[in-house]
Amino acid sequence: MRGTEPVVSRLGRATRALLGFYAFGIYLFVFAPIALLVLFSFNANPSGAFPVTGLTTRWYDAMLADYELRDSFWTSLEVAIQVVVLSTFVGITAAFPLARSGTRFLGAIRVWITLPIMLPGLLIGISLLILLSTVLGLELSRRTAVIGQAIFTTPFVIMLLTARLEGLDPRLEWAAGDLGADALRRLMHVVLPAVAPAILAGALLAFTLSFDEFIITLFLIGGDQTLPLYIFNHVRYGITPAVNAVASLFLLGSLSVLTLAVVTTRMLRLPFRRR
Amino acid sequence: MLRKYVGFVPAALLLGGLFGFALVVTVLYSFWEVSDFEVKANWTLGNYEYLLSVGTYARTFGATLAMVASATVLTVGAAFPFAYWLTRHVSPRWRRPLLVAVVLPFFASYLLRIYAWIAILGQNGAINRALQAAGITDEPVSLFLFNRPAVVLVLVYLYFPFGVLALYVSLERFDWSQLNAAMDLGASPLVALRRVLLPQIGPGVVTAVVFVAIPMLGEYVTPLLVGGTKGVMAGNLVATFFDTGEYSRGAAAALLIAGFVTAALVYFRRSLDLAAAADARH
Repeated sequence: MRGTEPVVSRLGRATRALLGFYAFGIYLFVFAPIALLVLFSFNANPSGAFPVTGLTTRWYDAMLADYELRDSFWTSLEVAIQVVVLSTFVGITAAFPLARSGTRFLGAIRVWITLPIMLPGLLIGISLLILLSTVLGLELSRRTAVIGQAIFTTPFVIMLLTARLEGLDPRLEWAAGDLGADALRRLMHVVLPAVAPAILAGALLAFTLSFDEFIITLFLIGGDQTLPLYIFNHVRYGITPAVNAVASLFLLGSLSVLTLAVVTTRMLRLPFRRR
Repeated sequence: MLRKYVGFVPAALLLGGLFGFALVVTVLYSFWEVSDFEVKANWTLGNYEYLLSVGTYARTFGATLAMVASATVLTVGAAFPFAYWLTRHVSPRWRRPLLVAVVLPFFASYLLRIYAWIAILGQNGAINRALQAAGITDEPVSLFLFNRPAVVLVLVYLYFPFGVLALYVSLERFDWSQLNAAMDLGASPLVALRRVLLPQIGPGVVTAVVFVAIPMLGEYVTPLLVGGTKGVMAGNLVATFFDTGEYSRGAAAALLIAGFVTAALVYFRRSLDLAAAADARH
């Protein structure tokens, strides 16, 4: 056996090098398209693509002057805030009984709650379109878009909060109870501080999901346009430098929210863990 | 007694009263007749028959399944060596940061990740420029955009993180010393991989396949932006029916897609690694 060892390790080393090279290729595949987008947003070439003829920020200036774009940004923000409020409220109220009531139907309720995540957004969009506009006769507007998006974002909030509540050591509450705290005090001083990071993370997640949501909004918003819809309407017929600039800022925005989510939940992480 | 269920009321209204009811209405619509642009409550299978009997539509469904199947195989196939490298050849300290790094682009806007590929595959995109610079072609060729391979490529790009996460979670739990033990007992590396590793990470692979394939089935934007007329998928069909006011047919087409999703979930339900799935989602 001893004689075969060097062969195996040389083979092992070759595999290792090959896999490392492959992994490098994967990172390239994953990042290159996005890096190109940012590069093109500073490219002076009005075709919005290669060749790079010089660096400029004029596409960013053009973007700031675009009324349609500004409107779509404010629409996105308005819709996202309403979605956050709605799905955080529904999420908090549902997470408590889900984590604690111990009802027999828990399994079924959980499956039902994950349904909007599992089903294609297309189906959520068209089924609500049929219900809201044809059956209930509502006019399509930002409000109908909020309802549609909240159906998609709420399950994420519920799942996050339920996981957090289930991880909360019940002895903390018993201890508070022994010390004379009533239900409201236990909620305000023990439970809420412990689940606050999850609520915040849920709200931020709902915000990013809403801001980025496309297909449900397309069917439900009627005449208005959110930022993704604006981008969609402008890229259907190819790339433009202005959209490259919007895209780069959008990327920056998503990354900032993500960083915010990670940093705040880290900061708020308290040592309330079972076991 | 009922007090402990009070909290469910808002969720029941939103996810049951609205969404559940909307799904029921959609199912009803798909089985109801349309005449003179009005939906009438007469039961019929006509909408489904229509979809499957008109050649273009039936072919679109077939093409959708074929594109999703190849994109899924490519995604999971590309993700596996990467997840293997991450769990085997990277020190534990660097594993998390490198995993986060590969998933990071996933947090960029969905629409923009598709758009980015137009800048690579399009008329004056990166590939065409490179070919011209290398003197292989004289003028831009429209070979790379608006066809099925372009759709498959972008689908792989979009859902690669799902594949990596599901496989990573399952590979990380595997005890690699079992593999050495098998080889010490005389198994060749390939036999050890097949007989020891695969049975244990099977659920992880299935989870990766399901979670990659499901969102692909309902794709609408990718085929529209990079597929053009040659790369149409079932999702585009649904949207077209709704644009032209044919709600019943659109509902039937959307429910056929949902049928594929449900079939995949039911078929694989026993082997699904739900712990890995839950981890992959966070």
